[in-house]
Amino acid sequence: MLNLSRRRLLGQAAVGFGSLALHSLVAAEDQQRPHFAPKAKRVIFLFMKGGPSQVDTFDYKPRLQKDDRKPLPFEKPRVQFSQTSGLLASPWTFRAYGQSGALVSDLFPQVGQCADDLCIINSLHGTNSAHGGACLKLHTGSDTFVRPSMGSWITYGLGSENRNLPGFITICPTLAHGGTKNWSSAFLPASVAGTPMGNAGSPSEEPRVKYIRNPRLDPDSQRRQLDLVQSLNRDFLESTGPDSALEARIDSFELAFRMQSEMPAVMDLASESRAMRRLYGLDDPVTANFGRQCLLARRFAEAGVRFVQVTHSNTDVQWDQHGDLRKGHERNAAEVDRPIAGLLRDLKARGLLEDTLVLWGGEFGRTPTCEGKGWDGRDHNPEGFTMWLAGGGVKPGIRYGATDEYGYYAATNRVHIHDLHATVLHLLGVDHERLTYRYAGRNFRLTDVAGHVVKDILA
Amino acid sequence: MYTLWMQVVVLALAPAQEGPPAEEQQLRFFESRIRPILAEHCAGCHGPRKQKSGLRMDSLAGMLQGGKAGPALVPGKPERSLLVTAVRYRDPDLRMPPDGKLADRDIEDLARWVGMGAPHPDRAAVGVVRRGAVDGEAGRNHWAFRAPVLPALPPDAAGKPVDAFIDALLRSKGIRPLARADRATLLRRATFDLIGLPPTPEEIDAFLADPSPDAFARVVDRLLASPHYGERWGRHWLDIARYADSNGMDENIAHGNAWKYRDYVVRSLNADKPYDRFLLEQLAGDLLDAEGDVAVRQENLIATGYLALGPKVLAEVDEAKMEMDIVDEQIDSVGRGLLGLTLGCARCHDHKFDPIGQDDYYGLAGIFKSTRTMENFKKIARWYENSLASPDELARKAAHDRLVAAGKKEIAGLEKSAAADTKKELQALREQVKKLEEDSPVLPSAMGVAEGVVADAAIHVRGSHLTLGDTVPRRFPRVLAPDAPPLGGSGSGRLPFARWLTSGSHPLTARVMVNRVWRWHFGRGLVATVDNFGFQGQPPTHPELLDWLAIQFVRDGWSLKALHRRIMMSEAYQRAGGTDARAMEADPENRLYWRRDVRRLEAEAIRDAMLAVGGTLDRTLGGSLLTVKNREFVFNHTSQDKSTYDLRRRSIYLPVIRNHLYDVFQLFDSTDATVLSGDRATSTVSPQALFLMNSDWVASVATATAGRIVQADASKAGRVARLFLEAYGRTPSEAESRRLLRFLEDGGTWQSLCQAILSSSEFIYVR
Repeated sequence: MLNLSRRRLLGQAAVGFGSLALHSLVAAEDQQRPHFAPKAKRVIFLFMKGGPSQVDTFDYKPRLQKDDRKPLPFEKPRVQFSQTSGLLASPWTFRAYGQSGALVSDLFPQVGQCADDLCIINSLHGTNSAHGGACLKLHTGSDTFVRPSMGSWITYGLGSENRNLPGFITICPTLAHGGTKNWSSAFLPASVAGTPMGNAGSPSEEPRVKYIRNPRLDPDSQRRQLDLVQSLNRDFLESTGPDSALEARIDSFELAFRMQSEMPAVMDLASESRAMRRLYGLDDPVTANFGRQCLLARRFAEAGVRFVQVTHSNTDVQWDQHGDLRKGHERNAAEVDRPIAGLLRDLKARGLLEDTLVLWGGEFGRTPTCEGKGWDGRDHNPEGFTMWLAGGGVKPGIRYGATDEYGYYAATNRVHIHDLHATVLHLLGVDHERLTYRYAGRNFRLTDVAGHVVKDILA
Repeated sequence: MYTLWMQVVVLALAPAQEGPPAEEQQLRFFESRIRPILAEHCAGCHGPRKQKSGLRMDSLAGMLQGGKAGPALVPGKPERSLLVTAVRYRDPDLRMPPDGKLADRDIEDLARWVGMGAPHPDRAAVGVVRRGAVDGEAGRNHWAFRAPVLPALPPDAAGKPVDAFIDALLRSKGIRPLARADRATLLRRATFDLIGLPPTPEEIDAFLADPSPDAFARVVDRLLASPHYGERWGRHWLDIARYADSNGMDENIAHGNAWKYRDYVVRSLNADKPYDRFLLEQLAGDLLDAEGDVAVRQENLIATGYLALGPKVLAEVDEAKMEMDIVDEQIDSVGRGLLGLTLGCARCHDHKFDPIGQDDYYGLAGIFKSTRTMENFKKIARWYENSLASPDELARKAAHDRLVAAGKKEIAGLEKSAAADTKKELQALREQVKKLEEDSPVLPSAMGVAEGVVADAAIHVRGSHLTLGDTVPRRFPRVLAPDAPPLGGSGSGRLPFARWLTSGSHPLTARVMVNRVWRWHFGRGLVATVDNFGFQGQPPTHPELLDWLAIQFVRDGWSLKALHRRIMMSEAYQRAGGTDARAMEADPENRLYWRRDVRRLEAEAIRDAMLAVGGTLDRTLGGSLLTVKNREFVFNHTSQDKSTYDLRRRSIYLPVIRNHLYDVFQLFDSTDATVLSGDRATSTVSPQALFLMNSDWVASVATATAGRIVQADASKAGRVARLFLEAYGRTPSEAESRRLLRFLEDGGTWQSLCQAILSSSEFIYVR
């Protein structure tokens, strides 16, 4: 019998899904531990693909409402994605919600009711005004190079809490605009890559991890087959002498076998009550698709998955209303408002919101000026936009930063994408300057050489 | 061990202009307009208390010296001054003050002040602090930047020079290497290594039955002569060429003609095209004289696809940035791929570790900027393609176009005469012309480059085109070519650059390539960091062997096949796997090659081997399997998956779709086809096991294999033996045979048994 190595024991105990690769085990010893006490243990990222308009949702601008169709009184950015004309007032009414009095438009009445749990950042800004570049920037911190995704960095830094599940799951992600690059591990170990379930082009009814089910063999027959494979594998290992990769390979088959049963159990929504399904909007065809994604996200979070991303995108670029703003944003918001509020309420009721960080936003916002002829469209705008956070150690019921009086540029307390990344890592107990990986001769970080933790929003 | 490259040179500033009134006025302007701005808006973070980014804005010296980003001020040159760039807010990465743009008047005054030459009361007292050049002298002493010297062979080297170097080191450590591997193991190893497929039972029988001493040498020759050799080693080269059939990045558009470059690589390797010629064609094929031979000319043009294949942000709204990003991608690929140098690091600043200055980078950038890679930069930008049309094809196309034009003219004529009976005729004619237009012959073309607008490039301060510094003449990096004059001339300089790389005396070109070949044979390079020979790379484990191989490679006329023979005929290559307590103790990682390491097959070889064992591999050579047309989206916003991989062709021919690689390949660590990689990872993760256990694809291969095995032999034991021979390249032991038969007796099917064999380590790994 073989004398199992320390690495192998470590693989059994400490690391998650597939993290049995040799290099990730070494990493497991070095990393996989917060740098300081974390406020959040996991992240749910609600990604609104296409770029929801800040001035029509969470960034109320009275001057914009007043100066409808007048020219913008200052310069537009040096580079713009498309041409825009004069200012376009928001067609939606804003109301004050909760004790915080946060102003939220009528696009989000349900989320508005959760305003006292939200930390709304109105001063986000990025660098890229095209979907592809902006998506990559938001997900990986770089729009020029192939870099690991934020979820991969986090999983690399902290590991998974459930050794039978992936540490980073992305539900119905979009295959366009960076596609897999948005959840890839790049130069980090393959084990921390996002595990995609379905894609934005398929309904969320049956999102699946590929190859998770065996359609041919019953469990007993498969076990017998696996026993044969493993006996062959052990023979081979014996003939080569100790080899960590071959040892890891034997473990990886056992882990795969366990995952086959664990994954479907987490994904089975049958045990959820009717009230719960209603809470997430599963009873309504408008909200059912995104509601199911949100409910799955909660179940994965509960099961110990470190980073869950939920993407709201259809076979079109969902929130990308260059035209048809009224109809488009109305429909988009209607699909997500109830599910998101349901998720926030559910997490709170379970006590999960305390250590789960929920992050909402798109790859950029939209211009306060109008695109197209019919006064019903807005262009991409990375210069100033809104994202909100909830739970996981952020101050609830606050608003941070501001755009100029028309909502075009982030103006005060500007928060760059790098700053957002630094802050998310900080909430997870990770110092963004110390979470590094050596590649091609130097150390790399999620935040490259930039990023400041936004201390004012920490609870 | 690296030196500080920056030298700080203090120069006296040129004396201020004569004429007190103007000077006084200017100083007054500084005191009344500029000093207050600097004090109020800058000195808080860049002053006596804080010096963010190492910068002080409260003194002239501080501004001239600058911070981490470089000098804040170039007197007289507002467009080159970071101070002006920053306050103008044009560069999204450099905006000062950070929490709000200054008033327009303040910005104008600052720019005016810099334009005046930055008059300042301290001016007489302060010298200009300028960043000096990279220290080339210290750099040239780095081993990789010195030309290789033919080492003296160790005394007992006769006939086995590679082993002489390897054994000398082993002896010095007191390690005794393992013996030669058995013949079956050796055959499986060599066959996978050279053609990426398992040996057939017939080939195994023939080799085991051949008693002659040169039997293995003849196996190597047979494999090198196989057309599958080019497919196997072409795939390795494609890793270096970051080959892909789609752009990836933001706009994932099909590289509909990239396959021509891929087939060119396969053909070139099969023909054992000298490596210097191979590089020359890829870097400057469009500039080579084909001596009137159309086929050669086409081959040369296709070869330049190498420079054009990189991923591009085609919807980048800033066209100047797009152009420089493309140039940067080319410099990075050529740098790491051919030179083993991370040249890309010097885009924004002097290289932090290697003696490559920012001026060296822009000296090269001028060459690539003078090269035409793009047709235009309008979003969505179009890459350039060279026409491959023959005179015949051009004539046919012209004739076709004339026909269409004539038809249109006739239609126009008929339209004028409104007679009722022409209506039907008109309709028929319109349809005819429409059909003709649809059938218009598409002229063949290939992604590649041509000469562009020739111009030197300016240094981009902080890598940004928004703050341009001095213009640098097109030239080679000084540390490698200290005496080479600037290129000048009317061409881009690509051809001289390619000739310099392949001159035979270049310190890096041959070393980097022989090291790559060694890596692909052994799983680790003599220099472990195969893409980085700079100061941050690993030093070679066997420097003399590396130099000897590099020099012989050039002497052999840059023949890759000769290099394979040298390596594979060595004992080091032919050793058995296994273990040895003493050797394990002294060299646990086998850096000295006392044994053969077990290696997992690459993604493509796993798939090809399965298809081969299943008997369904389609061995057709070359051609395109893309299902979308050139420049069509493979993925647009819809996320509709148009790719299909249900094919039986060899893996190298499967479309490589960036951002959406075939998931099986991704699972088994193929490159991401976006950046080059000469050292693929080998991960072992559970999704690989899930794929082997549960996928329809593996199940179908197992079914095919079972069908073959059952047909091949009437007896169960015979079938088991055949399966072992096909999959493992050896016969089973009695115990192994018994275990498999018992699995069947317990109700397991042949299909399930075959799947187990195909999933097992011995099939996926090579000893």
